[in-house]
Amino acid sequence: MDNMLSILVFFPAIAGLLGFVVNKESARAYGITVAAIEFILSIWLWFSFDTSNAGMQFVEMIPLIPDFGIGYYLGVDGISLFIIIMATLMTLIGMISMSITENIKNMIITLLFLEMTMVGVFVSLDAILFYVFWELSLVPMLYIIGAWGGPLRIYASVKFFLYTFMGSLIMLVGMLFVAYVYHNLTGVWSFAITDWYTLVLPVDYQLWLFAAFFVGFAIKVPMFPFHTWLPYAHGQAPTIGSVILAAVLLKMGTYGFVRFSLPMFPDASVLAITPIAIIAIIMIIYTAMVAYAQKDIKQVIAYSSVSHMGIIMLGIFAMNAEGIGGSVFQMLSHGIVSGALFMLVGMIYDRRHTKMMDEFGGLASVMPKYAVIFGIMLMASVGLPLTIGFVGEFLVLLGFYEISPIMTILAGTSIIIGAIYMLALYKKTFFGPVTNEANKVLKDLNATETWSLIPLVAIVIWLGVYPKPVLGPIDNSVKAMLAFMDEKAITVEAKDIIRTAKTKIIIEEVK
Amino acid sequence: MENFVYIALFAPFASSMFAALFGMSPRQTFVGVIASLLLFTSFLASASLAFYVWTTGNIVHVTMMDWISAGDLSIPFGFLVDQVSVTMMTVVTLVSTVVHIYSIGYMDHDKSFNRFFSYLSAFVFSMMILVMSDNFAGLFIGWEGVGVCSWLLIGFWYHKADQSREDNPSISPSWAANEAFIMNRIADLGMLVGLFILYWNTGSLQYDVVFAALPDLSGSVLNAAAIALFIGAMGKSAQFPLHTWLTDAMEGPTPVSALIHAATMVTAGVFLVIRANPLFSVTPEVSFFIAALGTFVAFFAASMALVNRDLKRIIAFSTLSQLGYMFAAAGLGAYWIALFHLAAHAFFKALLFLGAGNVMHAMHDELDIFKMGGLKKAMRGTYIYMGLASLALAGIPFFAGFFSKDAIIETAWNEGTIVLWAILVITAGMTAFYSFRQVFLTFHGKARYDESTLHPHEMYKFVLVAMSPLALLAVVAGFGMGSFEHFITKLLPAYHMSEHTHHIAWLLGLIVLVVAVGGIVLAYKKYGNGLKRDEKCENSFIYKLLANQYYIPQLYEEVITKPYAMLSEHMWKDVDMKIVDTTVDGIAKFLYKSGDGARKMQTGNLSNYLNWMAVGAVLLLVVAAISAMFV
Repeated sequence: MDNMLSILVFFPAIAGLLGFVVNKESARAYGITVAAIEFILSIWLWFSFDTSNAGMQFVEMIPLIPDFGIGYYLGVDGISLFIIIMATLMTLIGMISMSITENIKNMIITLLFLEMTMVGVFVSLDAILFYVFWELSLVPMLYIIGAWGGPLRIYASVKFFLYTFMGSLIMLVGMLFVAYVYHNLTGVWSFAITDWYTLVLPVDYQLWLFAAFFVGFAIKVPMFPFHTWLPYAHGQAPTIGSVILAAVLLKMGTYGFVRFSLPMFPDASVLAITPIAIIAIIMIIYTAMVAYAQKDIKQVIAYSSVSHMGIIMLGIFAMNAEGIGGSVFQMLSHGIVSGALFMLVGMIYDRRHTKMMDEFGGLASVMPKYAVIFGIMLMASVGLPLTIGFVGEFLVLLGFYEISPIMTILAGTSIIIGAIYMLALYKKTFFGPVTNEANKVLKDLNATETWSLIPLVAIVIWLGVYPKPVLGPIDNSVKAMLAFMDEKAITVEAKDIIRTAKTKIIIEEVK
Repeated sequence: MENFVYIALFAPFASSMFAALFGMSPRQTFVGVIASLLLFTSFLASASLAFYVWTTGNIVHVTMMDWISAGDLSIPFGFLVDQVSVTMMTVVTLVSTVVHIYSIGYMDHDKSFNRFFSYLSAFVFSMMILVMSDNFAGLFIGWEGVGVCSWLLIGFWYHKADQSREDNPSISPSWAANEAFIMNRIADLGMLVGLFILYWNTGSLQYDVVFAALPDLSGSVLNAAAIALFIGAMGKSAQFPLHTWLTDAMEGPTPVSALIHAATMVTAGVFLVIRANPLFSVTPEVSFFIAALGTFVAFFAASMALVNRDLKRIIAFSTLSQLGYMFAAAGLGAYWIALFHLAAHAFFKALLFLGAGNVMHAMHDELDIFKMGGLKKAMRGTYIYMGLASLALAGIPFFAGFFSKDAIIETAWNEGTIVLWAILVITAGMTAFYSFRQVFLTFHGKARYDESTLHPHEMYKFVLVAMSPLALLAVVAGFGMGSFEHFITKLLPAYHMSEHTHHIAWLLGLIVLVVAVGGIVLAYKKYGNGLKRDEKCENSFIYKLLANQYYIPQLYEEVITKPYAMLSEHMWKDVDMKIVDTTVDGIAKFLYKSGDGARKMQTGNLSNYLNWMAVGAVLLLVVAAISAMFV
């Protein structure tokens, strides 16, 4: 199919529009069907994807405003492919397990629009298009938190919206400036990211632009100290909101670093290694400690997200294929695992209408299935080998070791303090005698809940044991990007630090 | 032979999965039986491989598939069956099979019987990966895998509530499980760093590639790698200061203590040092540190065992102490002797623990040896087993421990490290004392429990029969030392005693023997005819210090656990909420307020607007003037 990506982007949106005429009772079934088709489409994309080619594939290009070089320009490579699949998967699974009944039709339509923006962000190769999808993704999420959230939902949703919006405006300024520089140098306007890649900018320009993009991405990730919107957003969001937010929306930030900052500003990126690594280490250690202090299960998971995003940030700036590849893999891993954990928290919340740890205790004997799945996700979250969580974390730490052993050891404490807060959570919630009367009659997972979690468990183990089908294409594209960065870098320091792999890579842009 | 490798490896996995199928259903004896049969299959396969390696001298190396490849890193699932791994495989599967059969009897009344077998077999699978892997990353899989299984099994009775440290030094099974996992993770970070160092300096994590590249590396790199790997070993093998988890791990069911916390998992650290012997051989300073630390731990742990009253904890301390011996040997370069002691220790220590399990079973989970006594009559079989195991542990000729431990002590002499030698000899005496103190207090003298309510009875017969291979090996394993040396030194460096040591070997052996027998005699004098409480001694500072494990658990709690929790609380409430978030909200409020304030300009009154226009014009002029000055 020629227009594979366009179909992938707009199918959920069009289906969402049609959803307005679907009656309320069947809205949920309709939504699940659409999401399932979308997921199958994304799997088809994977099967049609040429894994030996590290370049952009399924490229579509229609000029929209030729005078300014703005076009409808789409494409995927190994880095974005799996994030797209994860986005469609988590939307599907989130929808299946969703327990919301109130205004279900609005929720389904909102989710389908959100799916369009998410896929759109990851396939856009035009900066303006990217920006449009990026900003549009805020709207459905604002609505989800604001309409279905907890008592502080308005505060949380406005905070989420304004905070990330402010960041992206600064990013927009950066984008306009890049286009302006491109016009000055070449005489034509272009917003195509692939055109921007060819720009060789002086280091001071790179630094300013890096900073502008950084603000946009860093708030989204969220990096310390821009992270405080996240606990509120998660705390107030309904389960489905948290799942999508943690699994996909946060990844936009880290994806932005890989797609824009690194290849466009290689010298600035190398200069930024130390400051970013310091922030990443603060994220890892500090938020893990804050997570340990939480009383609310969902807040623990929320803060743990920030901690894991720290690992991802660190890997991106390892400047070698091990680290960056590990980072991209960790994005998927974190998406699956934190998504599943938020779903699990949602399930216990549905039963008890509380998420406080001290309300529980001894759940393992009352809800054994629930405890087993939670346990598996916990182990994946703390990076146990043969689960999905290990591969990314290991590669990131391994990769960054080449840059700085000391900082790697500091970041590596994540395997200790991650275990501390997760095991403490598990002990308080699942172990010990059942002291609270209300917990004695809790029902274990029902069929829907079980079957929405089983695929995630399967993925967690499959990609932990055999990550190659996913890691291979990622690795290919990352190697290509590094080779390109190395070639493009103008300072000697940057050329020294950027490490290209020994293997040969094939890069071609294909339709 | 490839098939045997896969059978040895995956039979425990199949067993675990099979038992897991019934994990949530009520007790089914056949689950235990089938699990035991699968484990026995694994043992047969391992034994066949051992025979093959023994007779042909060939090693078997299989690569199953790729695991992780990124950048220039490529890690396969590869398995290596050579002299070292096949020894470990045989020991692990043998002890595991015995423990599985034992557990059918021991866990008889437990409602989570099936779940127990699932965990236990999963542990064996992880342990097999650990010992069979042909690369460091695969070893790390097993390393973490046994950690998780250990977590699951220590916390097996998760429903028990937390108690105060005075009532139960390990607080609760789930607490002990978390402690073990977290403490091991601290060491695992060291191990990971070791992997990173090796990868970036040799370009691979495969044993053969790494070891071949070692001669090209600088001394500092080698030392760093050796230190990092040894930190990993310290966690798994519970060496000081990461030792407190091991005694707390006794909260787990006793078969678990026998298999994991005595015979197999805790020896993984020693195995790592033996496996990486090409690295440790070229880092003499690190190796000496290992030997010194091992010797210290041997003594340190034995001292705590002297006064402990908890049956299982005494054996746990003795395990710790024997691990110290193994490290001492490995650190001094006698890798094969360390491995031999590892194997011999696995047999008699597992036997000892299983015997302790029988006692607990009879005493309704009573662990305090001060409340036992006189069990000899009711439990003759267990008494004989525990007696044999204790004789082996004490190093009495010609039991297994005599050969292996004596060789270690002789090595310390041979290396000229007289201080280490002396400490190890004294420790041998202490070992004999506490082992027999425990045997006498448990089995001899008069009953110190309420005989009207408690009627101790012997364990099921099939359990005693299942334990017999271990008893046999505890007695005769030592006689295989010569042929084992011949077999293993094809791979491990041979270790030769000097002419002089060889000459006085009989004297050295005699000294150890005298000290050990002295320990037993002392124990008999004090406890042979029952317990005579010595209030003065029990109130002395030393006694209390030892009974409280030198106050180290309390120290950790005060210095690490509590401050960490407090700091976390501050980080959240003060830093995150008050500083970071308040700043963010402050900026938002400032913008809102300034907008609110500026609204007053929009009065709709023309003269006001003109005033503001004048202000603006003046401002612009000032800006223009300033910028003109700079241009």
